[in-house]
Amino acid sequence: METAVITEGVAKSFGPVQAVRGVTLNVGAGLTYGLLGPSGCGKTTLIRLILGTLQPSRGRVSVWGHPVPSRAVLSETGYMPQDTGLYLGLSARENVAFFARLYGRRGQGDVEQVLELMELSDRADSPVNTLSGGMQRRVSLACALVHQPRLLLLDEPTVGVDPRLRAAFWSHFHALNEAGTTIIVSSHVMDEAARCHRLMLMRDGLLLSEGTPDELQRAVGARSLEEAFLIYAEARSGQG
Amino acid sequence: MDRGRTWAIALRIVRQFRRDPRTLALIIVVPALVLSLVGYLLRSTENSISLAVVDQTSAPGSMLTLLERALGQAGWGLRVVPTEEEALAAVKAGDVDGAVILRAADSDGTTVPKVELVLEGSNPQKSQAVRRLVSQVIMLAGLSSLTQPPESPPVGEGAAGQVEALYVHGGPQFDTVDFQAPPLIGFFAFFFVFLLTAVSFLRERTGGTLERLMVTPARRAEVVLGYMLGFGVLAVVQAVIILLVALLVLDINYVGNLGLVFLLVITLTVAAVNLGIFLSTFARNELQAIQFIPLVIVPQGLLSGVVWSIESMPRWLQAVAQAMPLTYSNHRRLGV
Repeated sequence: METAVITEGVAKSFGPVQAVRGVTLNVGAGLTYGLLGPSGCGKTTLIRLILGTLQPSRGRVSVWGHPVPSRAVLSETGYMPQDTGLYLGLSARENVAFFARLYGRRGQGDVEQVLELMELSDRADSPVNTLSGGMQRRVSLACALVHQPRLLLLDEPTVGVDPRLRAAFWSHFHALNEAGTTIIVSSHVMDEAARCHRLMLMRDGLLLSEGTPDELQRAVGARSLEEAFLIYAEARSGQG
Repeated sequence: MDRGRTWAIALRIVRQFRRDPRTLALIIVVPALVLSLVGYLLRSTENSISLAVVDQTSAPGSMLTLLERALGQAGWGLRVVPTEEEALAAVKAGDVDGAVILRAADSDGTTVPKVELVLEGSNPQKSQAVRRLVSQVIMLAGLSSLTQPPESPPVGEGAAGQVEALYVHGGPQFDTVDFQAPPLIGFFAFFFVFLLTAVSFLRERTGGTLERLMVTPARRAEVVLGYMLGFGVLAVVQAVIILLVALLVLDINYVGNLGLVFLLVITLTVAAVNLGIFLSTFARNELQAIQFIPLVIVPQGLLSGVVWSIESMPRWLQAVAQAMPLTYSNHRRLGV
């Protein structure tokens, strides 16, 4: 299988705080990878290291074989930040069209298609700050999808999203996998983990374990993923 | 460089302002309002001036007629009094703002005719206006005396050395408003572009859109250029409105090249956008960005020659003034 992302012992410190402490990863193409762990465990930092917006203190990151940051890689990468990251005064359509143009997509077709996909066509001309929280998340996802990226990095995309919309998001993610898109999605909600092809459990800036949800659960004889995560975390602190 | 991306950013900035009528009004209405106010105030102080005149010349009337005509044009009050004492008393009592004494040449011809100006002096603005007008009259008299036969006494000396006021730009019909309006246009352009850039860039950072922008293939130069372009459009629109107000409402005397005015607005915008982006990185929120106004804008307003001329400043302040973008623009603006 083709490899989308490789990190080799990548680490990042902010002054005395070690946010990521040596993570080695191998993300295969066309799958959804769940980045799981409690708040503040370094998920967002790891995503930014993969994007190349942060320079690692140690280690290396490469995407599709190119060391990051690389403009060629960025043009094929979609990113949905944790906060909505939209121009609140502009309409949904204007936001999506703006990002489309930055990715060199001039045509209106891509924009309309992704608005349709996110079921935003009715409210496409309303300013974003008049939309509900869930709708804003959909606009944000639309902005990350409009240029049909090969790699999609989603930082807690389902926070504050109602269950119906969350299910819709996950079916979109799987549809994108079918089309060949690689997705890395961070979350601290365990019930989402089961929907990922592979999981990476993180705690305190370290990768605890990596594998399919089944593998992770069976390896420690846990009845649920949540229990499995606790067992891995215990083992880690026992070592430390 | 990708022109499409730069345009996209410029277009986005213009769109954001189009959807924000309050800020749009701030950019357009406030400068027009302030400029009208300044113009009205400057002119109305000058309009309420009155002078007392004593004519002691050997050929009464010639100089007085010139003075009367000039004062009549300016809409000032003129009172002819018989004696010097009476004129001085009127000035002291505050009935008039100044007295003009037209002295005759000595009978032996050792001294030339002289114009003496006594100013009330408590209002510098009025004093300045009076001095300016009287010196204009002296100049006119001096010029006309050249065309007169030699036996006619030359006037044009005295009056506190005002005669050296030779106008390079403008001329007698230029008043204070004409002098102050062009720098004000630059000041407003700079002020609003700086403030709005600092705040919008700050919003990009705090709102997470800057991070998004940075993970698109857009280069930093494209982003900055897009900002300049977007705000450049806004600044030019603003300049057009201010110029229209200046020309139509304030009836400012205007000579020069409009294209040059816009070029100046554009160069100012470039400076203001860059300064705005630079300083916004030191601010954590909008309030902090606004706190840069006293630091950046007020000193520029004071030192760049809008109010006081740079030549009259202490040396160290002159050096500071030379480092400010507005100084240059004002210099060139007055040149236009």
